[in-house]
Amino acid sequence: MLIFRAVLSVLTIVVGAFILVQMLANARSGFAIVPGVVLGAAMIALGAHRISLILRARRT
Amino acid sequence: MALEKKSANPELRRTVTPWGSFSWGYSDVGADIFVGLGLVLAVAAGASNVAFLFAGVVYVCIGLAYTELAATYPVAGGGQYFVMRGLGDIFGFIAGWAVLLDFTIDVTLFAWTSVDYSSQLLPVLVNSVHPWLHFIVVLALVAGLCFLNVIGVRESTAFNGVVSALDVLSESAILCLGFLFAFRPHLLIHNMQMHWPTPYQLMLGTSLAIISFVGLESISQAAQETQRPASIIPRTSVALILTILIFALAYSNLALGLQPWHPIVDAAGHPAQFWQIFPNNPDNQGKAVALLAAQVPYYGAFAALYVPILGAILLLISSNSGVFGSSRIAYAMSSTNLLPSIFQRVNAKYRTPVVSIVFFGSIALLELVFAAAPALMPIFARPYAHFFHGESGLDFLADLYAFGAATSYSFVFLGLIGLRLYDPLSPRKFKIPLNIPMRFRGERVEFPVIAVIGFIGIFSILLFTLRTHPLGRIFGPSWLLVGLVLYLFYRRHRKLPLLGSEKRNWRKAQADILRTAGELELMDEYLANVKASDERRAKLGT
Repeated sequence: MLIFRAVLSVLTIVVGAFILVQMLANARSGFAIVPGVVLGAAMIALGAHRISLILRARRT
Repeated sequence: MALEKKSANPELRRTVTPWGSFSWGYSDVGADIFVGLGLVLAVAAGASNVAFLFAGVVYVCIGLAYTELAATYPVAGGGQYFVMRGLGDIFGFIAGWAVLLDFTIDVTLFAWTSVDYSSQLLPVLVNSVHPWLHFIVVLALVAGLCFLNVIGVRESTAFNGVVSALDVLSESAILCLGFLFAFRPHLLIHNMQMHWPTPYQLMLGTSLAIISFVGLESISQAAQETQRPASIIPRTSVALILTILIFALAYSNLALGLQPWHPIVDAAGHPAQFWQIFPNNPDNQGKAVALLAAQVPYYGAFAALYVPILGAILLLISSNSGVFGSSRIAYAMSSTNLLPSIFQRVNAKYRTPVVSIVFFGSIALLELVFAAAPALMPIFARPYAHFFHGESGLDFLADLYAFGAATSYSFVFLGLIGLRLYDPLSPRKFKIPLNIPMRFRGERVEFPVIAVIGFIGIFSILLFTLRTHPLGRIFGPSWLLVGLVLYLFYRRHRKLPLLGSEKRNWRKAQADILRTAGELELMDEYLANVKASDERRAKLGT
């Protein structure tokens, strides 16, 4: 179960990074990229948060 | 010792695990995007993602506030309890009464959209084609949920967990595949630049976007039944807050930048973009996630079959949480003399609060009749068009939902600030970031900057709601006014302070709360803080 959750977390980070890169590639559009950038950053944050919880669970 | 004496009242069992706590919250808040997406796309058009971003930032502040409060005061009363403790009885009543409005709307709105999602597979249930059948099915669902709650049947935490897990997986799959294979950033930017709404529409869209984030009461309700809530709640809440935020932002961005799998044409036969199927089409607005899922290349063929079913089940669970939650909040308010004691009355046979369930279930049914009236009987369509700008039934429910949420959340932020100032001794295992240390009435306190930012955000959404929702600005304040009049009559009848608060021993209450939560270390820390504060005050002679 932990491995499954870890894979999902890594996938969340990868998709978040993918969205972030795609939005930053259109940085010239200005404000229009902001919601997408926040989305990408939030996905990376969630993935990292879940991985930290998984690591904590493994330690205890 | 009074603190060690066991309570004579039966207490809720603390059996909810971390995943149970997450899924409890998810089954409540996670369903909101199924309702909110179509409504926001219909009015905010190219700025739908901005509307969700603004509401999402406010929601993160609200989520952090609820996390801190639920971890510090793990009681089932939720927002009204925090506000009552931080600001006083009358404000606690207003916050609780606004939450009760939301719960009754929740019952009707989610049952309504549950039927809308079902109509994707059963076209006979489409509201605009067979309004009477749609109405009867929603009515039967609401009445059925009330009946099940009266006889004490509830979906189990395990069932919630399975549905939540399936939904998280399903939504993740839709979003991952959608972003990888159907998302075109240039289309998103084009839509944002070419279809930017008017300021009025943006305000309306933002006020509707907040309904995608309603249901954080479930965090505090779960806290009452979670073991070691001060440790567990912050962990699960942060994951819940981020998950819901991501889904809302992802769906809105994807909807605007989606290259549909199957070509979409408008009524005139011209090629249209995905988000353009929502304006002026309440049938589509009620099942937006199912329509979006069907447009994901390849996976959409499979998603079109199961997403309507999964959505309908999740929405029905959320509708049920409205029935259950309203009776529980009314029970909690009644036990603190904010509502008459009749709402505490428990049926001898089924051991459920029948009066609360029947009373608030009846209000939900009244709201349903009002929402469905113009579609059912054309005679009602004219006054609705004249007085309420022709709002549909779904709009009416969404208006009131946004009003209730914005009102109660505004008070929760003020309650958090009040509790930080007046109760600095309670240990806070989770504290929202960005605090200003200061001294208040001889104690060191930390003033929460995020609460001020969140309050400004949610209060502006409340103003947007009042400005842009013709029905919400009439029925929302009317609900509060009627409640306040009843509250004042009741308090006068019971010879309790009308505008002030009853005297309560909060120190003993807090120690009891921590003891029953199993947070014995925190209870010891709290009692040590109290002792040190008393000694300090005795030395100073204050």
